Amino acid sequence: MLAASVLAVLAVTGPDKLTGKWETKPSPKGNVTGVVFKDDQSFDGYVNKKPFTSGNYQLQDSIFELTDNGCNGEPGKYRIIFFSNNDSFRLQPIDDPCEERKNGMSKLVMGRVK
Amino acid sequence: MRKWCIVLPAVLLVFIQASLTGNAPKDKVALGRHLFFDPILSRDKTISCGSCHQPAYAFADTLAVSRGVKKRKGKRNTPSVMNITGLPYFFWDGRSASLEEQALAPIANPDEMDLPVHLAVQRLNANKNYKAWFRDIFHSEATANNLAQAIAAFERTLETSNSAFDDWKMNNNNNAVSEAAKRGFVLFGKKGKCTQCHFGADFTQHQFKNIGLFNGKDLNDSGRMAISGNAADIGKFKTPGLRNIAVTAPYMHNGMFNTLAEVIEFYNDPEKRIPHSINRDTVLLKPLGLTNDEKKDLEAFLLSLTDQQFLQKK
Repeated sequence: MLAASVLAVLAVTGPDKLTGKWETKPSPKGNVTGVVFKDDQSFDGYVNKKPFTSGNYQLQDSIFELTDNGCNGEPGKYRIIFFSNNDSFRLQPIDDPCEERKNGMSKLVMGRVK
Repeated sequence: MRKWCIVLPAVLLVFIQASLTGNAPKDKVALGRHLFFDPILSRDKTISCGSCHQPAYAFADTLAVSRGVKKRKGKRNTPSVMNITGLPYFFWDGRSASLEEQALAPIANPDEMDLPVHLAVQRLNANKNYKAWFRDIFHSEATANNLAQAIAAFERTLETSNSAFDDWKMNNNNNAVSEAAKRGFVLFGKKGKCTQCHFGADFTQHQFKNIGLFNGKDLNDSGRMAISGNAADIGKFKTPGLRNIAVTAPYMHNGMFNTLAEVIEFYNDPEKRIPHSINRDTVLLKPLGLTNDEKKDLEAFLLSLTDQQFLQKK
């Protein structure tokens, strides 16, 4: 029973395909946006090594949901598309009431930092 | 004796030339740094950009409004010029669209350095060192354009990303900040509503906001409206970034608050501090209802945004 509970918790909070560090290529202005996804399903986003957002996420198949410290705590829902052997991804908005976040996230193409 | 009279000045000249060459800026940034701290750009040669944008205070100063030449009083609080590479416009009212445009304005402003830019350029070209340095770096004499380029290039180097908060988030160092600062960070995004304006790598969304410091009487700076001509912009000012905020007191466009505690107290209930203000942002229409402990936590978080370079100097 206990083992089953532990496994259930691990299934929700353990590492997933996103766990680790991801970054965009430099923009024309030289800005690099990055995000660190952690084992506990939290994340920290940064621009040019300056952290700017923190929150929690869930990844279920190709559905990525997040809440962060902006956007009045409203959650956003995206379809995540992995490519290049799961070393890169981009996000398509499904439902996000926060226009600014939606615009920013839709433009991101992130590659895993090895 | 006569021989020494000839040799000594010659040796001195070589020494002076060598030391000047040693100090000669090698690129735009170094030239900009030189210009930034040189009073040659003010009418009476008494103040420089660095007189009001002092390195020890994150390139701001400690006055509500700074003093220009002949101790003339400015109209608004001197903002920090650190962490400005991402800004889409400059000055509290956003009247400059580029850092280059901004860089020249205080030189010509009668309340600041009071030297028309064409005279500043003439002065630089009449100066042997500057003439040589502009020629070496820009392959031309000094112009308004390359003067602005040099100062802006220097200012763009003033980025900071080595605060306790950065260490906590970027290096996953949970011991970098206090528990109070961690609680403050949560409050900053939720109950404090701060991220509704102060969101981003430098804790600003670069929007113009009226936070309730305009009442048309003793608080009568119309801010952005004077630039846009739009009545809806009355009392709005650019949301400043918050990195190094602990060392840039006093606060607000008019420098009316001396401490971060006062700022937090104001935001907690703007109406209590400034009754009947005009056009206050809807985010600030109701009191936040922060407890005393929560106010302290918020302040602890703001203190964690101070770059190590300023902590080491204390």
